[in-house]
Amino acid sequence: MPAAIETSKLTKWYGHHSRGVIDVDLVVEAGQIFGFLGPNGAGKSTTIRLLLDLIRPTSGTARVLGLDVHRDRLAIDRRVSYVPGELSLYGDLTGRQLLTYLGNLQGTVDQAYRDKLVERLELDTSRRVKTLSRGNKQKVGLVAAFMIRPELLILDEPTAGLDPFIQLEFEHLCEEARGEGRTVFISSHQLPEVEHLCDRVGIIREGRLLAVESIATLKERALRKLEIEFSGAVDPAAFAGLPGVQDVVIEKGVLRCTVMGSLDALVKVAARFEVVNLRSIETSLEEIFMAYYGAGDATVGGKEAGHAAA
Amino acid sequence: MLLRNVFTKTVRDLRWPTFWVALGMGGMTAYFAILYPTYSKILDISSLLAKMGPVAKLMGATGDVNTLTGFLHIELFSMILPALLVALAAGLSSGFTAGEESRGTIDVLLSYPISRRRLVLEKSLAVLLACVVAAAVTWALGLTGAAISSSPLAADKLAAACVMLVLVSLVYGSLALAISTATGNRGAAIGVAVGLLVVTYLIDGLANIVDGLNSIRWISPFKYYMGNDPLRNGIDLGDAAVLIGATALFLIVSLIAFDRRDLAS
Repeated sequence: MPAAIETSKLTKWYGHHSRGVIDVDLVVEAGQIFGFLGPNGAGKSTTIRLLLDLIRPTSGTARVLGLDVHRDRLAIDRRVSYVPGELSLYGDLTGRQLLTYLGNLQGTVDQAYRDKLVERLELDTSRRVKTLSRGNKQKVGLVAAFMIRPELLILDEPTAGLDPFIQLEFEHLCEEARGEGRTVFISSHQLPEVEHLCDRVGIIREGRLLAVESIATLKERALRKLEIEFSGAVDPAAFAGLPGVQDVVIEKGVLRCTVMGSLDALVKVAARFEVVNLRSIETSLEEIFMAYYGAGDATVGGKEAGHAAA
Repeated sequence: MLLRNVFTKTVRDLRWPTFWVALGMGGMTAYFAILYPTYSKILDISSLLAKMGPVAKLMGATGDVNTLTGFLHIELFSMILPALLVALAAGLSSGFTAGEESRGTIDVLLSYPISRRRLVLEKSLAVLLACVVAAAVTWALGLTGAAISSSPLAADKLAAACVMLVLVSLVYGSLALAISTATGNRGAAIGVAVGLLVVTYLIDGLANIVDGLNSIRWISPFKYYMGNDPLRNGIDLGDAAVLIGATALFLIVSLIAFDRRDLAS
């Protein structure tokens, strides 16, 4: 079975000061939920638009479901759905009309399944699309994407604007798709949004793919910022030299530090004192990148790490 | 029904602009046809035109103006009707791809199994239909007006003029399409199409007065549109072929340019 997505040295060059992607070698195996992570402007959407043949690479190649993205575009489009990040739809149509139109463009659509999706995402299809909120527009896009049961879903920042309940439903849909052997490719600039959903993630920054890791590995390497508030003074020496614990600062009974990997050692030491509060600050992608640069081991690749440091 | 494919969806999107332009063109034609006998009684049109001298020539006043045919020729078919239909054709064609691009809908549209070439063709076909409808309404209302005022107006010659009207509008429409598909810039497409409409109209009109312009008159679509005076003489197949050829050329450019280009995000 061919990989769902496979790029080789994929490059889109817009000049020195513009967004583009450089030498992206990305393989997404079929049947996975893959997170494509990077800060805004890192090249996520550019990569996706290259995969969809909306823009053409400066050099390198891209294959989707084993097919050439340019030569076999129509064959790919029959089997792939896409929801762009800034989803624009025909505002003068109602949700139902729009889904009908997009279904017709696709060919045949299982109407019953479509209606079920509409129900699950609590979408009001009687309203004109232009009157819908961002989240509701996003739902239209998601129904349109899932209703054709594509082999590959390419979703660019799909959860923006969705309320938590709908987001959960969306995650179920992704998991169901994976259960049926289909592939979901999700881009995001927020790791917490996708970390519990994805099997693997690729991290892109300034147009370069820095790493592709399983979520488990990433978490091990992720930096966490921690704040522990104690009822009284604590002995700084107790917290010195703990494995993975860095930047320890203790002030007025509050300990602040950065932890890489397991929290176990730190928590066991902290438990010797009376803990009033414990706060874990979400790791930002930037910090994960920093962890990567700092570590600079073989999984990142010496070249990229070197470049990033430059 | 109208959400069946890109062609029918485009027809649906165009229904209102087409309706209004058709009503405007047909309404004016009917208006002049109905009032022509009154006008010709209270105004001595030929002496009026004689007083206007070269300006009348610039406006395309040739031959006999003391008939409804001549009157419609100078009042409507020489400038106003082509301007309206060009506005429709160029406005619509430039909106298709550049408009979808600036709204961002093109990303969604092209993620469905439809080729870029087919997209341009289906949308162009819808513009062709819009222009034909507007011209057909003009023809029908013109004849109705002439019947009301009992003025002689040949149905076949009016049809010939309406066909030529469609053909000349498609030249500017396809030019706008070519610019919009090649650049993604709708404003540039409309601007250039309308600008060239004015320039080529003036070249053709001024060539009646200024001899020096005769050598470049061939570049003006108006020469082929009005040269044979279709309202009196019917269609000259050579002229029609030139207009169709120019449209085909611009369409081919559009298909190639749009297929090759990176689409704006």
